[in-house]
This record gives sequence, structure tokens and C-alpha cells, in this order.
Amino acid sequence: MSASPVAEAAQSASPDTASDIVIETRNLGKIYRDFWGRKKVAALKSLDIEVKKGEIFGLLGPNGSGKSTTIKLIQGLLFPTSGRAFVFGKDARDVTKNERIGYLPEESYLYKFLNAEETLDFYGRLFDMPSEVRRERSDQLIKMVGLTHARRRQLKEYSKGMTRRIGLAQALINEPDLLILDEPTTGMDPIGSREMKDLIVRLRDEGKTILMCSHQLADVQDVCDRVAILHQGELRELGRVDSLLKVRDVTEVHAKGLSDATKQKIADLIRAEGGEVVSLDNPTTTMEELFLDIVQDDRPGQRPTSNS
Amino acid sequence: MRIEPDQMWGYFEWLIFKLGLVQGVLVAVALALLGFVVCYLVSMARYGPSEGFYNVTRVIYELIARDLPGTSWRRIYALGRLAFQEAIRRRVLVVMAVFIVGILFAGWFLDPSSDNVARLYISFVMTGTSYLVLLLGLFLSCFSLPNDVKSKTIQTITTKPVRSTEIVLGRILGFSAVGTVLLAGMGLLSYQFVTRGIRHQHEVKDLADDGLSGSTTYDSKHQHTFEVLQDANGNWVGTTDEQKGHRHEVLVTEVDGKKVFTLGEPEGLLSARIPVFGKLQMTDRAGNLGGGLNVGYESEYQKYIEGNSLMSAIWTFDDIRPSRFNGGDQLPLELSLKAFRTFKGDIVTGVQGEIILKNPNGRVESERRGFVVKEFAVDHIEIPRKLSGSRDGQPTEVDIFDDLVSEDGQIQIVIRCKDAGQYFGMAQPDVYLRAGDSTFGWNMFKGFLGIWMQMILIICLGVMFSTFLSGPVAMVATMTCLLLGFFGNLALDVATGDNPGGGPIESLIRMPLQTGAMVELDLGNKPLESVIKGIDQGIMYTLVSVFQAIPRFGQFNTADFVASGFNISGSLVARHLTMTIAYFVLASLISYFFLKTRELAAA
Repeated sequence: MSASPVAEAAQSASPDTASDIVIETRNLGKIYRDFWGRKKVAALKSLDIEVKKGEIFGLLGPNGSGKSTTIKLIQGLLFPTSGRAFVFGKDARDVTKNERIGYLPEESYLYKFLNAEETLDFYGRLFDMPSEVRRERSDQLIKMVGLTHARRRQLKEYSKGMTRRIGLAQALINEPDLLILDEPTTGMDPIGSREMKDLIVRLRDEGKTILMCSHQLADVQDVCDRVAILHQGELRELGRVDSLLKVRDVTEVHAKGLSDATKQKIADLIRAEGGEVVSLDNPTTTMEELFLDIVQDDRPGQRPTSNS
Repeated sequence: MRIEPDQMWGYFEWLIFKLGLVQGVLVAVALALLGFVVCYLVSMARYGPSEGFYNVTRVIYELIARDLPGTSWRRIYALGRLAFQEAIRRRVLVVMAVFIVGILFAGWFLDPSSDNVARLYISFVMTGTSYLVLLLGLFLSCFSLPNDVKSKTIQTITTKPVRSTEIVLGRILGFSAVGTVLLAGMGLLSYQFVTRGIRHQHEVKDLADDGLSGSTTYDSKHQHTFEVLQDANGNWVGTTDEQKGHRHEVLVTEVDGKKVFTLGEPEGLLSARIPVFGKLQMTDRAGNLGGGLNVGYESEYQKYIEGNSLMSAIWTFDDIRPSRFNGGDQLPLELSLKAFRTFKGDIVTGVQGEIILKNPNGRVESERRGFVVKEFAVDHIEIPRKLSGSRDGQPTEVDIFDDLVSEDGQIQIVIRCKDAGQYFGMAQPDVYLRAGDSTFGWNMFKGFLGIWMQMILIICLGVMFSTFLSGPVAMVATMTCLLLGFFGNLALDVATGDNPGGGPIESLIRMPLQTGAMVELDLGNKPLESVIKGIDQGIMYTLVSVFQAIPRFGQFNTADFVASGFNISGSLVARHLTMTIAYFVLASLISYFFLKTRELAAA
């Protein structure tokens, strides 16, 4: 760290402002200590990652691997024990960086005594948005997350999925350039989960950068461009999802309308060429696909009982 | 109640000459230095000497360069409104209900036969209100932030471009708004309660044979006698006698040639006297200035004059103009003197004294005017503008404002005790000229403003402690400040050693040894004694410094003024407001530093 505030101010603007690196961590580490300053646990050990503009970056890992710690360090909610984190070239502890960030916490920590409109209005004010803009934005977002029918209900009456939706809406109130999502799909039913994933991809296509952490591997696989896998506070793997998942010595063929005899011939051919048939079978669909096929248009929140 | 000399100071007198400003600045500087050192030590322990220093300076730099300029009223408003909504959700309105129930039934327990009903009623509502509001402020402010941290809702706030300044100010302002609304409601109800509670009416019961005097019915545990006279225009006018601090006007109408008497509302119960205080000097038995006797430890500045001697008390009043006294037909003088008797004397007539008005030039003075001292009450004397007196020793009629007031606007009022062997006791605020009255409602408003300021202080302290302590601990800390603030004088007396018995260690030794507090400590070992006293000195000096920094809540309590019927002067209100603002700024700054340096997501 530099030795004076002035130098620090100069430096906070330094790391690659011109290039499209949105988040950068340098040797970022966090040790949790108890009251007496004794070391309790090293939650994160010298993490170096860069998240580029316009990508969906996933942080993957089991419970206690340091995902949430990383996200909190990046937002300045925790202070690093070593190293630094930069967002938009600013130090993570600089609150002005938050102007361009939307954050969906792990559980939507919102004020339960407010209703959806009040919630969005409140967070809009925190971005110093004038009232017309706030009203317009919250209308738009309530519609987008599908809570029009429940906009005047207090959040304490919301189901978990609805709470996630309003949480997402508040994260988007400022049209952020960077969206930080902590377990975005937990508590959501498959439809909600799919909608969330579609939305994440759509936002990426609009040019926004997304940092998400999850232990729902399927979600990460579905949407992320790049992932970092953390385990016990250490970075274990970092790269593009497609290349990380590619199994180099297995070939996959998809074909339609083959008879059993033709399939047999193909198997014989593989064996004759010295290959090994691992499996030759009809593919099964995923449970998610199946479920979505069945309940396609029966959206939650549109049940006739729940109009307010 | 007796107005303390410091309560008579004008605003600028206090700020500049009585070192209010200097003290404030000193406290601020001392706290700033102490804060810097403590923060540096903590930071050094955690990050090492150079980086620790860097961290501390960075936080200060960020406050000045980024967070203060970046503070937005819209965000403060949003956070304040949230605090307000949260308070309402936590059912603070119950406090209002408690208050309403309280005053609904209070009438049963407040004794209407008391000598000063107004005082009783006013004290009751104002004490009740201040306890409720202060407790409310305490609970609201101490638990809110810790709850937000615990429920992690703070994380959705601090991940927005919200400055720590805004979180602190929003909290303080939001809770203050809640308290203000409640206090306003309670104030209005209190006013109604007091004015209605003391309202009563009498009928005429007995009429004397002359048809011009009589007595009233017995209502509200008292009755009056009255007398009517014909004034210069031939109208019948009159008032009742004074009972329990009030009179009623007697209205006379003639119906079929017979007089019908009706009695008006009670007068004089709810007053807001505006006193003009003078400077007190006393003469000794030889008539020279600098006298005054002490008849025992009562008050630091109350002194006695002996009867039938040359001892006298001389008050000098400044800036005496007819316009200050309702045109100046009379000079209203109020006395509350103590009598100290060395023998029982004539208990029916009481101890007698005399008043002389003098021009400070010494040439003109009024005739002696006798009076009987009224103990434990305020004696109201109206001195007519024209009175007989003497100029250069020649008897003549004198005019108070033309003859007795000197060219620079001064008048002297001399009081003597006439009875040999009896004494009058008095202090500076015991004799004053009554320059008109303020309205009772306005005075009560100012009294409630005092409660309001105490509430703001509690909220500031509560929010400050809650930025680094958990809810219950913050509450205990605020409570401690509150208690020290209320009983600060006692604590200060102990700390400055004004209370006999020595410091903490010395008194601990005295207890098992059962040494009297007034006796010098004697352990038979001089060096040990001086070590003990030295340590005690250190402890007490630290305590004094700590107490100086804690707001004196008791000082802000002006309910006594309202209850005793004294106007709360504008300068006193201004002074309290200044202190409130100073503490608000200080608490906000401390809160900012704590919040800024705190990991809000730490488990």
C-alpha cells in the first residue's frame, strides 16, 4: 500500500482505466480475527482475478470457499488483510464506485416493512435520482421482474422467490454497468431460475458486466463465460467455461432418425478404427427442460388468488 | 426555584466572556487529539506503525475531500424517512398511548389542595413527558443500527453510493423527527391538561350586610373573600383575595337595582414573569460595602443581613425605562427573602423590613416603605411612580423614572431588616423587577424545547454508541452518559474534591477505618498518604475531564422555570441550542469515524 492519501488517490485511478477491466484484485487476502486480534481463519489467500467488461464471470466453490468474502471485499463491505481490490479503477472502499454497481445479496436483505414501490423508491433515492426518474424506473423494473400484482404489498408477505425478484429489481434501479449477484438463483423455482438466467445473459448482451457466485453448478455452466473455482480460500481454476469443461478424448455425435442396425454399424466402425464405444444411446432431456415444458405458461405470481 | 447566576447571562456574555466558546473549542480539540491518538494506536496494533498512520490520515482525508462534499440531502432524507418508518413500525406510538392514559388518570392523584396547583400540574406533565421521550430516544437510537447490521440490511445500503455521514445523519434526523412529532403531541396535550386542570370557578356564597363584600363557595379545596369598590367612573370593580397563588376578578352587574356578582377565571396561576435582575452588594454593621453574614452552610452565595443595624442589601438595576414596565405607572418589585430568627418574636406580624429606592448619585431617595417578609413565597410589591421622598435631604415628591433613575439608567433598591435579632437572607436572584410577562403558552413551548434538546442529545449519543457497540451495550453506555449528565454536578463535586472525604482510594481506606470525612487522613505513614493522594488526584483529574465532555442534561431541563412561573430567557434557549448543535456535530463526527472504519459485513 502507498504511504500517503495523495499518492493513494492518484493510484486508485491507475489500474487500467482505459482498458476494459472492470474488477481487478491484486493479491487479495482476508484473515478473520477474533476480538483479541487472534487469527481465526484465512478466508481468502492472495486472489488475483480480472473481470473484463461485458462478460459473465462466475465464482464457484463449496460453502466456506471464500466466494462471499471475495464479493464483500470487492464491494468494500470487508477490508482486505492483504492486497487490494479495484472496481472501475477505483479502490474497493471508495463509495463512489457504487454509482455503477448493482448488488443482489445472498438473501435479499431488504426492509420488510416497505412495499415493492417504496423499496425501489428508497434505493432510487440512495442513488440521488430525481423523483420522475425513480418512478419511471421502478415501474419498469416491477413489470420486468413480474411483481406488478404485488407492488403495494409489504415485503414481509412476499414468498422467497418474490423477495429474490424485488432484490434483483433494487439491484438494477441505477442501470448498473456492473452487476454483482450472490447466489442469484437460490430460492427460485425452475421458471424463476430460468428467467433469472435469461435475464443475466440479456444484460450481458446489453454490454453489462456480471460477477456472480454460486454453488449451483448447472447455473454457472449455463450462463458464465468465465469461472474461477475457489476452494478453502484459494484459487484452484480460472478460465473459460467451454474450455474448462471440454473433454478432449471423447467425441460426441448427435444424429436423428437412425435405425438400430445403423447404430450397430457405427459402433462396429468405431471399434474397427481402434476406438472405444463409451455409450450409444438415446439422450435424455434434463429435469429442468422437462419441468419447463410442462409448466410453460403457468407463471408464479399470476395466480388468480394473489391480486392486491 | 431560584435562578442561578449563570442562567442570567446573556448569550454573548456566555459565549465569549464566560468562555462557553473557549470551553467548547477546548473540549473539541481535546477529543480530536485523543481520538486521533487512540485510533492511531488501534490502527498501529493492527497494521503496523506506518500503515496505521496512513489509514488514520486517509479516513480524515476522505471525510474532508470526499464524503462531506459528496453528502446528499436526498439520501439523508431517504435514510431519515426510513428510520422514521422503522420507528413507527416498532410501535413507538404506544408511548403516546401511555402518555394519554397517564394524564387521563393523573387528575386522581394530583392534589388540588396543594399550595401551588399550577406548579404541581406543570411539573407532572413535563417530568412525565421528558422521561417518556428520553427513554424513547434511547431505545430507538441504540438498537436501530446494530439491528441493521445483524439483519444485514445495512449491506444493501452501504453497497449503494451512501456515505457514512449520510447513514449517521439520516438516523439522527429520522429519530429526531419521530421524537419531535411525539413531543409536539404530548406538548399540546400537556398544555390542555394544565390549563384545564387548574381552571375552576366559584359562586358567591355569603354577602355581607353592606352588600359590597362577601365570600365565595368552597371549590377546588379553597375559598376566597372579596370586596368591591366604586372607581372614578362610578363602576363597581373588585377582586377576591389571593388563595393558593391566584385571584378571581369580581364582575358586578346591576339587575333591577340589585347587584349581581360573578367571579371570573383564576388569575395569576400560569405566569411567565420576565425578571430584571440587578447586582447585589451588602453593607456591614458599620454601613460599609462588603458585608453580609453567613448563618451556616446553605448556599454559596446566599448571605444574611442583621436587623436593626446598618447592614443593608443594595441592588443596582440597569437600563430602567418606563417602556420596559408597561408604560411605567408602577414599578413592580418581587421579593423572595428568607428570614432567620434568633428568637421567636411576634409570630403573627412576622419579621419586618423596609425598602428604600435610591438614585445612585446619592442625592435623591424615596421614603422608607415597610413590609413584612413573606417566607417561602414570592412577594409582589407595586411601587407607584410618584412617591414622597427627599432631594438633598429636603422632603419632596419624587418620580421614580425622572428623579430616582440616574442619567445612565440605574436605580438602587435598598432592603433592610427592622427587627433586632432577626436576619434576612438573600441572594442576587431573590429580588428583581418584573418587566411585564411573557405568555404562559410560549414559555411552556420553550420548556418543551428544553426536553426536545435533551432528546436530541440522547439520540446523538445513542446513534454514536450504536456505530461500534451492540444494541444493549450501546444502551447501557448512553444510559451512563445520561445519568452522569443528570447528576453531573454531584459527580463533578466528587471529582474536583469539593465533596469531603478524598478520592476513590482514600475514601476506600476511610470506610473500614471509620474516619470522619472532615478529618485529615492519618495512616501514620506520610509517603504512603501522599502516594494515595497522588493517585486519587490523577483519577479525579481524568474524571473531571470526562465529565466535562458529557452534556449536562440537567442544565437543559428548564421545566422548573415553567413550573415556577419564570420566563425562560431567549439567551438561555440560544445557549442550549448552541450546545445541542455542538454535541450533534461532535457525535456525528465520532459516529462517522466509527462507521467508516467498521467492517459492516463481518460476522
